[in-house]
Amino acid sequence: MEERRILSDTEINLDLLAPVYGTPRWFWPVVGLLGLVVAAAVGAFIWMLTQGLVVTGLNRPVFWGFMITNFVFWVGISHAGVMISSILRLAQAEWRRPVTRAAELLTILALLTAALFPIIHSGRPWRTLYWVFPYDFARGIWPNVRSPLVWDPAAIFSYLTGATLFIYVALLPDLATLRDRSLGWRHYFYGALSLGWRGMSRQWRLQALVGILLSALILPVFISVHSVVSWDFAVATAVEGWHATIFAPYFVLGAIHSGVSAVVTVMALVRYLYGWKAYIRPEHFDALGRLLVAVGLAWFYFFALEFAFGLYGQDGPEVALREMVVFQMPWAGLFIVFLLTAFFIPVPLWLFRRVRRNIPLMLLLSVLVNIGMWLERFLIIVPGLARKEPFTFVWGSYAPSIVEILLIAGSFALVCLGFLVFSRLFPLIPLYDQKEGQVLRQEVEVGRARVKAVIREE
Amino acid sequence: MAKELLLALCQDAPSAARAVEALERAGFPREEYEILSGAPYPEGAFGEKPVKHRVYVFPFVGALSGFTVALLLTVGTQLSFPLVTGGKPILALPPMFIIAYEATLLGAIIFTVIGVLFEMRLPRPGLGLYDRRITGGYLGVLVSCPEARRPQAEAALKEAGVLEIKRHPDIRQRW
Amino acid sequence: MSEASLTSEPQGREPGIAPGVAAAGLSPLLRGGWVFWLAVAVLGAIFLAGLLSVVSLWQAGFAHRAPWGYYAAAFSILLSTVGAAPLVSAGLRFTGAHWRRPLARASELFAVAGLLILAWFWPLLRLVPASQPQSSLWFGWPGAPHLWDTLVIAGLTLCGLALLYVGAIPDFAAARDQGARGRRLFALLALSWQGGERQWRALRAALTALGACYFLAFVLAQTLISTDFAQSLVPGWQDSLFPAYNVVSGLQGGLATLIVVLFLVRWWGGLGAYIGREQFWALGKLLLALCLLWFYFWWSGFIVLWYGRRPIEELVLQLFIAGPYLWAFLPAFVLSFLAPFLVLLWNGVRRSILGPTFAALLVLAGLLFDRIRLYVAAFSVEEAGPVLQALPAPRLPQAGDWLVLAAAVAGVALLYLLATRLIPSLSRWEVAEGEQLRVERAFLRRKVTVIAKPD
Repeated sequence: MEERRILSDTEINLDLLAPVYGTPRWFWPVVGLLGLVVAAAVGAFIWMLTQGLVVTGLNRPVFWGFMITNFVFWVGISHAGVMISSILRLAQAEWRRPVTRAAELLTILALLTAALFPIIHSGRPWRTLYWVFPYDFARGIWPNVRSPLVWDPAAIFSYLTGATLFIYVALLPDLATLRDRSLGWRHYFYGALSLGWRGMSRQWRLQALVGILLSALILPVFISVHSVVSWDFAVATAVEGWHATIFAPYFVLGAIHSGVSAVVTVMALVRYLYGWKAYIRPEHFDALGRLLVAVGLAWFYFFALEFAFGLYGQDGPEVALREMVVFQMPWAGLFIVFLLTAFFIPVPLWLFRRVRRNIPLMLLLSVLVNIGMWLERFLIIVPGLARKEPFTFVWGSYAPSIVEILLIAGSFALVCLGFLVFSRLFPLIPLYDQKEGQVLRQEVEVGRARVKAVIREE
Repeated sequence: MAKELLLALCQDAPSAARAVEALERAGFPREEYEILSGAPYPEGAFGEKPVKHRVYVFPFVGALSGFTVALLLTVGTQLSFPLVTGGKPILALPPMFIIAYEATLLGAIIFTVIGVLFEMRLPRPGLGLYDRRITGGYLGVLVSCPEARRPQAEAALKEAGVLEIKRHPDIRQRW
Repeated sequence: MSEASLTSEPQGREPGIAPGVAAAGLSPLLRGGWVFWLAVAVLGAIFLAGLLSVVSLWQAGFAHRAPWGYYAAAFSILLSTVGAAPLVSAGLRFTGAHWRRPLARASELFAVAGLLILAWFWPLLRLVPASQPQSSLWFGWPGAPHLWDTLVIAGLTLCGLALLYVGAIPDFAAARDQGARGRRLFALLALSWQGGERQWRALRAALTALGACYFLAFVLAQTLISTDFAQSLVPGWQDSLFPAYNVVSGLQGGLATLIVVLFLVRWWGGLGAYIGREQFWALGKLLLALCLLWFYFWWSGFIVLWYGRRPIEELVLQLFIAGPYLWAFLPAFVLSFLAPFLVLLWNGVRRSILGPTFAALLVLAGLLFDRIRLYVAAFSVEEAGPVLQALPAPRLPQAGDWLVLAAAVAGVALLYLLATRLIPSLSRWEVAEGEQLRVERAFLRRKVTVIAKPD
């Protein structure tokens, strides 16, 4: 069986560094294609800058549309990295080893992409960024710290910095491995980045320690990021469906749900593209699937509470909003697709071990979850703004324009492109972590059977 | 007296453990040698003592500085342009708490990384006596002893069956 | 290889169980003797005194809710301590943590005390109107909330008892086979268990299913109780996070209860060899995480209401936090979050037996104040309009209220003590299985612990 093969350090180096040294045949065509999509998005952005927000579908009273939805979506995806890395590191879960780096990378790329969107959305960024950066010291006007729009950048900046340092510290030993296997400019590049790492036992000890410390420190930031994003909506009393106390944990759980699913997508793709069958194994998908059952159920509980308490007060407009989302097209169609893809199709299927170990199926289900979770954000943000009230004088509705669609497509292409560029320079699976897994690997005899085992460190 | 450096390369962990044992038997104190490896081993696998460090101090210092900066920033900006927004008090504590929370943790994270790099004694300008095969699965025993006892160390290591003993850094390996 | 053949091994050949496990496993959790019976007598007396206080409440009638406030708070405390304690074992079994094995029985024994939850719930039913004029989760569903809430509470209790019983069957069988006192009873309880592969597989499946059911029932019970017996009593209060807050603080209370009981068991019972620093360290970490979650859930609800600033939101914040129940909120905040957080922050403290126990005691005290500020406050509102208009006066605990609270604690302790007489103290088969899956081995120049991970 291919599971749990014994691998030598040389084999691990050769396998996992293959994308750094060689170029698979699909690489440049795919990069070209993604580059085209990103270029189209950049073109759309420039077009929007010259024409104004009128080329988007935004219209009174719907001022927040696809771009803000996409912002929330990518912030959500960014929760994958820390969820996987930190929690599993703290829990000493052995199956984290091949997953951590890609998950952390996903965090950084998703967060960078997410951060672009409020800026793009503001239409003329150079004139609106004062909401974060004081632009005129002389007049003594400062960003309003009482506004969630200032909390947002604070949280995202902390998270981005933390996640970048986290991935960097975990890269150090691998950078040293690359340094020892490269010549020319690459040797200097990796040499400078690896800071002279030599693998002394003291360094290893501290490297493990910093992994745990940073995990513990990043977790609170991780929780706060999506909470703060949720308060962009929840503290506003004026829009129906937004002002709910449950938003913060509801958003965080949704983020974990979509983020871990995105990790599954990435792992399945990476396994297929680079042929890392000996590293990313069915047992990893099994474990991720079990985690997703728990996350999915918890998310559904919060979703149900949010929905039920929208009706609970029997407040006319709130009830009308729910009615609109559930019964009126096009919202109703989106709502059904959202519920099916985010919960009712994947989560019951994940209860079966055979499904969890079927990698193509896991890929499909994880993509479904993220379709659903994208729609979830859309259904939270837009209907509340779009519902007509007696005293609404501007009866604009919302439909995305081609500009917005291009921007959304561009964001997905950008993240994929980031992955490919990273994989050319750095290993996507931590080498040293795999090697440590081989060091700690043991077998125990129970009765007449040999059971796989692992050395447990305190 | 000048210290002499020696790097003994071993093919695997058990032979590195044997080399360490041989050094111990030859009377080399623990401070005079060091294990270099391409993967972490459980603490004490080669008989090393628990690492002494002060990493834990750093996050607290960082948290304190982050909190202070956030406090000054939020209090300062609100007081310097006292405009009431949304019916909130001028010094609105809950929003200040949120900003301070993020800054506190950011400070703690940055200082932790600085502290750990400091305790790892990185960055280090050159690699010194090192061998690139260490990241390929070999283990190195780096001995740093007074010149006079070098032959003794070499003999002990050879007897333990190490693959190779290096005395000079690799010229090609600048980092 | 299958799990079943793995675990049937220790039963197949008795020597697989270390002699210590065999002896300790079948003796009661707590030492008997006069101390035990004295404790039973004292607790019984307290419980009876509290019952008298409940009777006097009963005689005063159900027309006014306010006097029942502390009774309702006691119910929520029961649900959040006793009701949650078995979840520690059930949850850790899901995650496959080996260190849980010795404490599984102590945790699941709380299911017996769950009987008190059911009994305690009964009078409360008469205090909520069947058709609520304002807010309700039930939207006019027939039989709501009385019938459905009762079913959920009963389901929770039954599920807990089933969890305890199924997990103990192999130990009953061992008691039967080793001719312990009361052999016939054990034989009856063991249901002719033999420990074949099929039986082990069925046992495992049943424990998984019952653990999941218990968890779902717990979440549902907290959701319904917190909504029907607190939130909907305060007109205009709309807080979708409140049920989830009750779940989280309930889990925190359950964990704290278990930690305190484990400390007592170590000190008074014979399980010192099995329950040690490893368990307290791990439980301490969990408690730290739950204390942080307590703050997160509290804060998430608070910031939205604070920012919203609608009149009803300001009134609700006044009622539960800054106004008549400030005296209860402050200790709740400090004891549920701040103090245990500052205690458990230090690894050295977590890694001791006294440290987590101390933090757990703080948490339990915090839970008491927290439930008082929520349930007594909600019960003291007697307005029936669509939106709360004025704050009620604070209700400080009277002597009768103290007795009611004491009766809840004494009743739980009493049931727990009596249950330890019957049910073996150690989940012997789980411990034995754990001993097989955990080996000390030489690795290079040191000894390491190796943990087997069957699929």
